[in-house]
Amino acid sequence: MNLNRRDFLKASAAAAALAAATGSRFGIEAAEAAEGDIKWGKAPCRFCGTGCGVLVGVKDGRIVATKGDPQAPVNKGLNCIKGYFLSKVLNGKDRLTKPLIRKGDKMVEASWDEAMTLIAAKFKESIAKNGPDSVAIYGSGQWTVFEGYAASKLFKGGIGTNNIEPNARLCMASAVTGFMTTFASDEPMGCYDDLDLGDTYFLWGANMAECHPVLFSRLIDNRLKNPRVKIIDFGTRHTRTSQMADKYIKFHPQTDLALLNGIAHIIVRDKTYDENFIKKHAVFKKGKTSIGYGLEDKFKFADDPKPITFEEYKEFLKPYTPQYVSKLSGVPVATIEEVAKLYADKSRKVNSLWTMGFNQHVRGTWVNNLVYNVHLLTGKICKPGENPLSLTGQPSACGTAREVGTFTHRLPADMVVTNPEHRAKAAEIWGVDVKKIPEKPTYHATEMFRALDRGDIKVVWVQVTNPFQSLPHLNRYRKGARKGDGRFVIVSDIYPTRSTEVADVILPSASWVEKEGFFGNAERRGQQWFKMVEPPGEARNDLWQIIELAKRLGYGNLFPYKYVEKEIFEEYRKFTGGGKDLAPYEAYTKARGLRWPYVNGKETQWRYAEGYDPYVKAGEGVKFYKNKKDDGKAVIWARPYEPAAESPDKQYPFWLCTGRVLEHWHTGTMTGRVPELKRAYGAAVCELHPEDAKKMGIKQGGKVKLTSRRGSLVLTADLRGRGKAEKGNVFVAFFDENKLINELCIDAYCPISGEPDYKKCAVKVEKV
Amino acid sequence: MGSKSQDIVSRRQFLQSGAVAPLAAVLAVGMISIPFMRLAEAGGFMLRPPGALDEKRFLGACVKCGKCAQACPYKAIKMAGPSYGASLGTPYIIAREEPCQLCPELPCAKACPSGALDKGLDDIEKVRMGTAIIVDRENCLSIRGLRCEVCYRNCPLLDKAITIEARHNERTGSHTIMEPVVHRDKCVGCGICEKSCVREQAVIVVQKSPLLQKDSYEF
Repeated sequence: MNLNRRDFLKASAAAAALAAATGSRFGIEAAEAAEGDIKWGKAPCRFCGTGCGVLVGVKDGRIVATKGDPQAPVNKGLNCIKGYFLSKVLNGKDRLTKPLIRKGDKMVEASWDEAMTLIAAKFKESIAKNGPDSVAIYGSGQWTVFEGYAASKLFKGGIGTNNIEPNARLCMASAVTGFMTTFASDEPMGCYDDLDLGDTYFLWGANMAECHPVLFSRLIDNRLKNPRVKIIDFGTRHTRTSQMADKYIKFHPQTDLALLNGIAHIIVRDKTYDENFIKKHAVFKKGKTSIGYGLEDKFKFADDPKPITFEEYKEFLKPYTPQYVSKLSGVPVATIEEVAKLYADKSRKVNSLWTMGFNQHVRGTWVNNLVYNVHLLTGKICKPGENPLSLTGQPSACGTAREVGTFTHRLPADMVVTNPEHRAKAAEIWGVDVKKIPEKPTYHATEMFRALDRGDIKVVWVQVTNPFQSLPHLNRYRKGARKGDGRFVIVSDIYPTRSTEVADVILPSASWVEKEGFFGNAERRGQQWFKMVEPPGEARNDLWQIIELAKRLGYGNLFPYKYVEKEIFEEYRKFTGGGKDLAPYEAYTKARGLRWPYVNGKETQWRYAEGYDPYVKAGEGVKFYKNKKDDGKAVIWARPYEPAAESPDKQYPFWLCTGRVLEHWHTGTMTGRVPELKRAYGAAVCELHPEDAKKMGIKQGGKVKLTSRRGSLVLTADLRGRGKAEKGNVFVAFFDENKLINELCIDAYCPISGEPDYKKCAVKVEKV
Repeated sequence: MGSKSQDIVSRRQFLQSGAVAPLAAVLAVGMISIPFMRLAEAGGFMLRPPGALDEKRFLGACVKCGKCAQACPYKAIKMAGPSYGASLGTPYIIAREEPCQLCPELPCAKACPSGALDKGLDDIEKVRMGTAIIVDRENCLSIRGLRCEVCYRNCPLLDKAITIEARHNERTGSHTIMEPVVHRDKCVGCGICEKSCVREQAVIVVQKSPLLQKDSYEF
């Protein structure tokens, strides 16, 4: 019997309903029965950090269907349209299927042996001539845990360089340094259950409706069920999130720093803080100020934290009066007072949510600290339904990049290369001489590509990411890659991209369910999947590629595995005890994900909270036990307002902000190959406020030219308001490979996190 | 995709249908078969350019000059072929392929020499080319609870012609169904929603506007 697609989906919807009702596996079996020879497997979605569960249907070795997994706690069978079309994502016509080597102007097909021989030779040559720090790997928050671990082990424990960075440096680094400086441990204390259990939600510079669609759906349902729920959207741009929020509060770019201090100021002024909580669970610190913007090559910054008293902190807050903050931010005094009152309201369960507005910020670390300050002052933290929740953009920025530690300064499980004890532990588990692991971090992402431009790095291997579309001040780095003189760029990807086009070698890769995998989402949920189909042509998975290079460089002994994925995972797991505990691999193969710390067969919903986190002892209530230096207390940081790296001026009078839309993900290499998603949203446009447009004589659909000090771009103007820029602002999404808006962006970064500010630079806008 | 609307019979289909022989005879005397003549009037809705008179008067006024099609900067206006019977040579829009983009200056209407398109129309939001209707709720991803709402986000009269009505998803118990709802009094019938729909067959299509009904009666 052949069910057509409509009937199948109808049956599965009904079956899913039944499954939800009975709580049994019946739903899936019914669909299987209906479909006969389709085999179903579970996997997390390939796209955002929400980590929706999907079921992938395979028949005759091909993916024939995908649907939301009704048994996945994250999404219960729902998807956004990106997830809905997962079955199409891997089937674009121009899938890379053969290694390609640059010969003059052409990319010529080659065998794997040829390509890997060449790559290994280039690595060896550069290491011999210029040292191990002349080679680098740039990976991704879309790497599986196995891939990230193997890369880190090879480069740090084999080659002996800290030249490994993930693209997560460009999206979550500030969240990480925020966590590390406040709590001494990365990753949220809360989980998605907080979306169901709280009653007050502050969204800060996050277009959740479009960028975390299924989570937003969950949040709105909370409000539908509980009319008491308030959702307040702080933004520099009016979005679909603003439209559904109870209140949209617009503020001038960068002034989030002042607003958060202003809220703290009022809480201190009115004594609505939780004195007892502060005494038991917080210390106060200050760091350096006027810390710069990272615009110069090799910019270095080291903070100098000093303890201060609560009184000194109150002194620090004195200038952030509602009047001062209002003047700076454009938010009315009454609104600031109202927000502070809401944050401190003892009858309310308050949550803060944020993503790139806070993280892609020249003071990203500071603004993360400041939002934690408010929750620590009021004691609204580590309680079910009451947490600050950092939302993540990529499917495994948490699970791979951050937790495995694929950064220049990192080792797995919060550990750092600068700490001799951490290096010793890594050396022991990896089975290498501890002297191999370098103790000095080298370059974070932006500096890595500056080094390539200068020639201090010669060989870069890019995997599962598209830096030559996504880096800020893009022109410099695209040109840098093609300067020759010994430079050699390898790009592993599944489609031709703006990065493969500057490569010397292109390696065709397997994607998603074409390999066994493991991702970790924003709520500490690790999700595993089995390989379900073969990759096309001669494509091979990135893990195989890394190990193959290792063998050819003489480090094959570091990868003596038979069942590679499982053995790597179990080896990595050894790092994770004491608060980041992962479950045995077997457990993940059966579960719809598990949230760490996983201890004695139980996952943890709320970290640092008694009764939920097994590392918190009875009677402790809340304990930030990872911060041993401060006795298990969290840090409230005195961080001031400081202006953006480049603000509008007479010559460049507009703010440029960049970001995403629901229909496309990141640089659009996958979603751009789904015809339906292209139909829904084809090209990047320039959002402009209608009054600004009128002044310049720009009409809907007319052409505008945006120019910054670094580049210019002609775009179609969109005044329809799906995203409505405030006056004096423009917004452009970065998914379009034909509209490289990042050429205009400034490569200024947070000196502490290294994360560039994609949300603020100065442009001029002209009618074309 | 390139699928034409259902009521166009392709040339090949027509020739293969076996209707050629008797029809050839009919055509030879310059008469056109009755079913085709009544195509537009029988509810085989044709999406006319903005500012068009009601269909009966439009067919009388349109001189089939093609100036509106030439004026359209998006090439959205097409000229109807022979299978359209009495509509032969008249302008229409296939929303699924290229919808009307609602140019504020209405170049198409301004170009019309016969008044078939109202030249005096100055507010694009006042046109009523048709009304968008969700014709297949079971295949609408938004109504199923997935996060789509592409039609809503692309609608040029954002939050006016289509709004989102949120309701609890009974099946999951913890998510929202965000249903796009068309407001007949605001929808201009441009068809941008129909073009945007991510399903293979658009589940939201522009159809002939339903009658605007009042709740009071004259006795």
